[in-house]
Amino acid sequence: MSWLDSPQDNLLARYLDLAAMRQALITSNIANVDTPGYRTRDIDFHGELVRAIEHEDADSTEPVVREVQGLIARPDGNNVSIDRESMLLSEVQLQFSAAEQLLKSDFKTLSMAINEGSSGS
Amino acid sequence: MNLFKVLDISASALLAERQRAEVVSSNLANAESTSTPGGGPYKRMHVVFGAHPMQMHGFAMTLASFTDINAEGVRVDRVVQDGAPPVRRFEPGSPDADAEGYVSYPAINPVEELVNLMGAARAYQLNASAVQSTKNMIQASIDIIKS
Repeated sequence: MSWLDSPQDNLLARYLDLAAMRQALITSNIANVDTPGYRTRDIDFHGELVRAIEHEDADSTEPVVREVQGLIARPDGNNVSIDRESMLLSEVQLQFSAAEQLLKSDFKTLSMAINEGSSGS
Repeated sequence: MNLFKVLDISASALLAERQRAEVVSSNLANAESTSTPGGGPYKRMHVVFGAHPMQMHGFAMTLASFTDINAEGVRVDRVVQDGAPPVRRFEPGSPDADAEGYVSYPAINPVEELVNLMGAARAYQLNASAVQSTKNMIQASIDIIKS
């Protein structure tokens, strides 16, 4: 294992990837809030993350996009709930920035290890 | 997943909602228009939205990863005329009156149009917040490089 390619960084990268995918789906749901017949779509975030932990080479596997069940459909067949989507929008943003901060602090530790060595002598 | 493509999705919705607001405004403006170039009173218009996979071209296509999911944007599929019969009012003095003295007015309910306009404005706002949120995420990704 190389110090540049740590498993936790790979996992964080996958986390960011999944958050970005989810953002795309939420944005798409919000965009189609008035499209007749549109059904809310999402990925199983935690399920996909568990899959990424179990198979570390899961980078190339496509996440399963599914229709969200249990939402109330309007008479035109559209079942986008604005409350659900706005809540998820802020949630995903927080998840993204949390993973981003963790990744940043990881890199900071690395950079400290690189730089402090030279200044010490 | 390319976050810039996410911005395109929101942009498609901003465009569609603006077009909807334009059509609704046109309905409101012409609520009393009794003559049109095509003859007869103004006909109320509806927009019909449709979900479409986002088209990518050029550079974005090259950048797109293989694990891309198929997120859909929105666009105005068509603008249809309302089939409701015109409202007839007895105004024999009007130049648009028919042989019996009735003038055909468009069947437009201003309250309905205003509610529709508010819906478009709210949806526009919601999509603008989505753009803001996506922008923050892109900024956060850039900050990783800066650290």
